[in-house]
Amino acid sequence: MSSDTLPTSKLARSKVVGKAILQIGSRKSKEVLKRGFLSPAQKELSKEQNQKEIAQIIMDALGELKGVSIKIAQQVALGMPFLPPSYLEEMSKSFQSVPPINRALVRKIIKQELGEYPQEIFDTFDTKPFGAASLGQVHRATDTHRDMAIKIQYPGIATTIQSDLSMLKFALKRFAKGNNIDHIMEEISQRLYEEIDYEHEAENMDFFHKNFKHPHVTIPKLYVDISTQKLLATSYLEGVSLDRFLASDPSRESRNHYAQTIFDSFFISLYRLKQIHADPNPGNFLFMEDQKLGLIDFGCVKRVDEVFLQRYTRLHISLIERADDMDITRQYLELDMIDQASDKKMLAFYQNVIKPLDSIYIEIFLEESYSFAHNKNFSKRGFETIMQVQREQTHSVHKLNEEIIFLDRTLLGYYALFERMDATIDTKFAKGLMRQFT
Amino acid sequence: MKVSKKAKAKTKAKIIEASVDLITKKGFKNASLREIAKEAGVSNPTIYNYFPNKERLLYGYIEYQHQNSAKILEGIDEFHTYTLREQLQTLVETELELYLEDREFVMQIAHMVFVSYSVKLDGIYATKEKFVQIVDEMLNASIEAGEIKEPPFREHLPLLFWDYYIAVVAYWVEDESESFENTTQFIDHSMGVIEALLHSDILTKASDLGMFLLKTHLLSALQKYTAPKRGLDSVKRKLEGLIDEQ
Repeated sequence: MSSDTLPTSKLARSKVVGKAILQIGSRKSKEVLKRGFLSPAQKELSKEQNQKEIAQIIMDALGELKGVSIKIAQQVALGMPFLPPSYLEEMSKSFQSVPPINRALVRKIIKQELGEYPQEIFDTFDTKPFGAASLGQVHRATDTHRDMAIKIQYPGIATTIQSDLSMLKFALKRFAKGNNIDHIMEEISQRLYEEIDYEHEAENMDFFHKNFKHPHVTIPKLYVDISTQKLLATSYLEGVSLDRFLASDPSRESRNHYAQTIFDSFFISLYRLKQIHADPNPGNFLFMEDQKLGLIDFGCVKRVDEVFLQRYTRLHISLIERADDMDITRQYLELDMIDQASDKKMLAFYQNVIKPLDSIYIEIFLEESYSFAHNKNFSKRGFETIMQVQREQTHSVHKLNEEIIFLDRTLLGYYALFERMDATIDTKFAKGLMRQFT
Repeated sequence: MKVSKKAKAKTKAKIIEASVDLITKKGFKNASLREIAKEAGVSNPTIYNYFPNKERLLYGYIEYQHQNSAKILEGIDEFHTYTLREQLQTLVETELELYLEDREFVMQIAHMVFVSYSVKLDGIYATKEKFVQIVDEMLNASIEAGEIKEPPFREHLPLLFWDYYIAVVAYWVEDESESFENTTQFIDHSMGVIEALLHSDILTKASDLGMFLLKTHLLSALQKYTAPKRGLDSVKRKLEGLIDEQ
């Protein structure tokens, strides 16, 4: 079916992207022509409209490419806050789909990775996948003593990533307004390669399985004997997705319990393991029996530098304790978020650019608990503020400390989940961990 | 002495496997039937009985792998629940999977067929019977189950699919990507196209269009130009016969 086939050859893919770039070209010139006749207010509106159209064109092109590009789009959305909001909106729409792997291919991949066809390796192997994974899908299988989840990926993903990224880089330069996007592209490509390297994920999962301790959290066990770089075998966890959980009309206690477990887990892994499960995609959580939470998919784990974490934590405690702006400004200087300059200049930069952002993040921690049910638009405000700051200060893109952005972005992703869950979270435990650490 | 069919097949398989080993090691030119017989542990008259010349061994190999593929497909759980596309794709992938073990050998055949022309493509085509029969059965089952409508030129489709399969093998032989991932993707995407074609009315519509053009224009054109040339007359008669049959 046409919806199942994704253009593969680099030629076909560059044609699709090329088409989009051509279209952007014509949009841009149209915009310039039209704007000559508009009032300033109309100009702003028309620019916004144009960006929306451009975003749509790029999304159409990415949509045609499918698979890897969607993953890249996700990463771009996270990594490039300077993109117009309309662009991100369009991108978030197409986050779901990954190319399906049919039964003929499933057999082939198993044979290729494990040397035998599924029926020779497993007692049972469900040829219908029960879940989608990053650029692949997950099948249930059993042998004499194990109930397993077998994750496989679409063949040839790695080469696809390479050609997609180089084309995307070309396309995105237009939006970067002279900013250097190389380091962001570098981070994105590194993250993508990590995500398709299942050996890397296996290592992370094994580490978390052995070291992460929380009474309500279950992490699948790795079966290293049947895992490869492109096939990941783990214990099977029975549970439902966030959507199914919410659809079952859970009690307020249950919703709060899960949100609290997710929230606390983040801080436990940050402070005790110095590593975070950095993909706040709701698909990575499994709502299991007995109020247990399953943490699955360890494709995106970020290690956090100890020295950085010390400074970061001290800063956040100062913010919670409402230290004065100059003290905070110096801490940001230490964290490389502000360039060395006169106190007055630095303070102004803090107050104009950073403060609107950190006051949002810190809002959660000011009281003993925070109700997302009463603050429905928290994450929207967060993202809007990032956008606004970026729009006013485009040069700050490369100045913002990437680790801070990464942590805050992950948290923001979690908060978006808590909003959907209408949950109230207790911040005492997290703050306790912070204080212990400094 | 009567030799059972089963024993015959066993001997044949033994010879073929020995020839793959030897030809891979020494090259097609340098491996003699005599040596192959020795390697397989059969007598010289026996091997000539099965394969009068070396070329026949190549065809024998391809037919042998069709048989093996058929056996593997029969052993797949729930294979009857696979979609037509999945069945066809599994067939192609299984054949390649078998070839993978003998890749060097298959590459030699491919080189002789496509590059040095020392083996005729016609000879390779003569090995299609079993493959075409499998495809034919899959198509029949799919039409019977109502998965696809009876396509036009139904009886030619298995042959077309065989052509496609030869193209896939030619692609695979040249594929230098890791784990031959390019071939896997090529198959997956081209199967997507084949699936889309079989599920759409495009084949019917195209054949309608072709028939229309043929009837209204080509035949009258032929009429016009046939007077001096007798040869074309027979073509015309043939075409008219074809149309009457439809």
